[in-house]
Amino acid sequence: MTRAAPARGGSRRASSNGHGAHHTTGLAPVARPAMPAVPLDTLGRLASMLAPSRLAAMRRDLPATAMAATGMLALRLRDLTGRDVIDLESLQEVISVYYRANAVHEQHQRGEFDIDGFGFDREWTEALMPIFRVIFRRYWRVETGGLENLPRSGGALLVSNHAGVLPWDGAMITVAVYDAVDRHTRALIAGWFGALPVASWFLRRSGQTLGHPDDTLRLLRGGELVLVFPEGVRGTGKPWSERYRLRRFGRGGFVDVAMRAGVPIIPVSVVGSEETYPMLADLQPIARLLGMPYFPITPTWPLLGPLGLIPLPSKWRITFHPPVTVAPPQGEDPEPWRVMEVADSIRATIQQGVAEDLRQRQRVFRG
Amino acid sequence: MSAPGRRILVTGVSRFWGAELARRLEADAGVEQIVAVDTEGPARPLARTDFVRADIRHSLVGKLVRGLGIDTVVHAGLIVDPQQAAARTVHEINVIGTMNLLAACSGADTPVRRLIVKSSTAVYGSEPDDPSFWTEDMSRRGPARDGFSRDLDEAETYVRDYEIRHPQVAVTLLRFGNVLGEVHDSPFARLFDLPVIPTVLGFDPRLQFLDEDDAVSALTHATQGDCRGTYNVAGAGVVVLSQAIALLGKIAAPVIPFIGGTAAMRVLERLGLVDFPAEFVRLLKFGRVVDTSRLHSELGFVPQRTTIDTVMEHGRSRRVRGLLDDQAPYRYEAELEEFLRSRGRRQPDGPAATTSNGRAPAPRRRRTRSTSP
Repeated sequence: MTRAAPARGGSRRASSNGHGAHHTTGLAPVARPAMPAVPLDTLGRLASMLAPSRLAAMRRDLPATAMAATGMLALRLRDLTGRDVIDLESLQEVISVYYRANAVHEQHQRGEFDIDGFGFDREWTEALMPIFRVIFRRYWRVETGGLENLPRSGGALLVSNHAGVLPWDGAMITVAVYDAVDRHTRALIAGWFGALPVASWFLRRSGQTLGHPDDTLRLLRGGELVLVFPEGVRGTGKPWSERYRLRRFGRGGFVDVAMRAGVPIIPVSVVGSEETYPMLADLQPIARLLGMPYFPITPTWPLLGPLGLIPLPSKWRITFHPPVTVAPPQGEDPEPWRVMEVADSIRATIQQGVAEDLRQRQRVFRG
Repeated sequence: MSAPGRRILVTGVSRFWGAELARRLEADAGVEQIVAVDTEGPARPLARTDFVRADIRHSLVGKLVRGLGIDTVVHAGLIVDPQQAAARTVHEINVIGTMNLLAACSGADTPVRRLIVKSSTAVYGSEPDDPSFWTEDMSRRGPARDGFSRDLDEAETYVRDYEIRHPQVAVTLLRFGNVLGEVHDSPFARLFDLPVIPTVLGFDPRLQFLDEDDAVSALTHATQGDCRGTYNVAGAGVVVLSQAIALLGKIAAPVIPFIGGTAAMRVLERLGLVDFPAEFVRLLKFGRVVDTSRLHSELGFVPQRTTIDTVMEHGRSRRVRGLLDDQAPYRYEAELEEFLRSRGRRQPDGPAATTSNGRAPAPRRRRTRSTSP
């Protein structure tokens, strides 16, 4: 397949530290190669049919023009007030992210993209990453520890505690790992996500797959970093009163898979996810009716409607613990007693890590 | 296998698979005799194949196998696209036909040494919590949701039973993925022929496609070799539906609701807008991807075209064009007429002969719903 040369690295650098070499030339619309007037979407196609192509071009350049105007305004304000009223670097970041996302979107419109067998689209995910990075840095102010425990190559199984109604912890671990070692985390999700509209393709497109043992083994043998939440929905559907108390770690299936694949297990403890949606009650009858594992009542949901979906801005800490090497099975299958023993010790490590991180974090929402 | 000439019996020559296979086997000097059994004439003109007009549900097939000393039986007559015939006909051919064909090949003194069965990856079903890759040893967790899949399951069960009872016969079961190509008619080919392609709102399934040439090559390869076992057959790589539609230059219309999609499809079918099997909506929602590593390593067959190549080639050969492309007008009907004339014969108007060779020029015949059991 032909594929446009991806602008990898450059724009990521620009967005990660705000000193992008690509966009330091100014705030005028970034010079782009002349594109054929390929409309962006169905509406765009109709629009370009009805109107002169000039209109479509204007529509395409509108965000850039707006950015340029904002840039001019920022310069003028700086001249007037003598300080940066509008952060120019953030503005450049936004522009680069916008163009990156736009380029990926156009490639998708032409069908020019590659996905792996699990449905993971690397470029698409990397174009989305800045959005999650903003949440990571500015909203939850995530602090990370033990990044040196992440392997730079080869398969490994990340095992984490799970909390907070919606699986934001998975997204935040993904950002932490990506920024630390430039690798994508492949999280294992519950089977019922596959039946949810939008979520079903979104999660697969961004690298997640279902928690099927065969899938996990396949990913680990392929040298991927796999993230698993052994608590599953028992963890995310935990009431507020039981916060930071880890639930049962499944049936130790994750240890079994790690042993078979011969990869180390890296325990991960996450603090902060519990406070994103304090779950005060669980309306099981409604949950059963909707086919969901739980139907939470939080201080804002369903009281404020869709606004209740906005997570609370708690302060997060993510700690990656030293890798635990698991001995490969002596015979054909891993011995069940060893599986359970390792599963319990991993759980204890994470529980201790959570307690330690809670001590380190002074305030729940500040910091 | 026995050096001086194999004697092969092929079923289903009135449709694409059987006819193409017979044609390929004709070119094989190691094949002494090819006997084709079907109720309708072959879909392609065949040179040295002996055509026997018989129903595989009849005990005559048993006499044929013994009388001619058939050593290889290729059951290419299993219908894997349920829209090819009425539901009852599909049941008769897939279940009763398979049962009788295997009965014809059974017994301690049977001359048969090889049995090749064409099945479909539809046996895996399509559910939201399916594994990302189906391997041959896996089977779906729940029962079949529709009659067609149930029939296919039953046919495969007969094949497995036969394999256990006849260890001297090398049984090969090929499960084919979605086949696309110039001639072959399949649910996806019909979907991609639509000017605007209906998709399920909020879903973008992972799919695999296999080129029709590769499909027939795989069947021929399995027939000529003597590797036993079950094999998934699909093109390399995976495509999501939205990508396939984009590659074909078409427009996706997410009009099928994610709840009650099958019912909505039924309505569209009644209106004559679409023509898809019952389980097709589930495929458009959850997709299906199979692991083909066993096909490569054990059967030693690698499809020439990848999934994406197959989609693009399909677009080229079928002259599939988008609503907005300004290309030459569609000249398919003329080409089809020419093709039919060159064959010098018309299809008899039977239920199984609707679209065995490309697209029938007339609108598809509506099936009467009352015939479904």
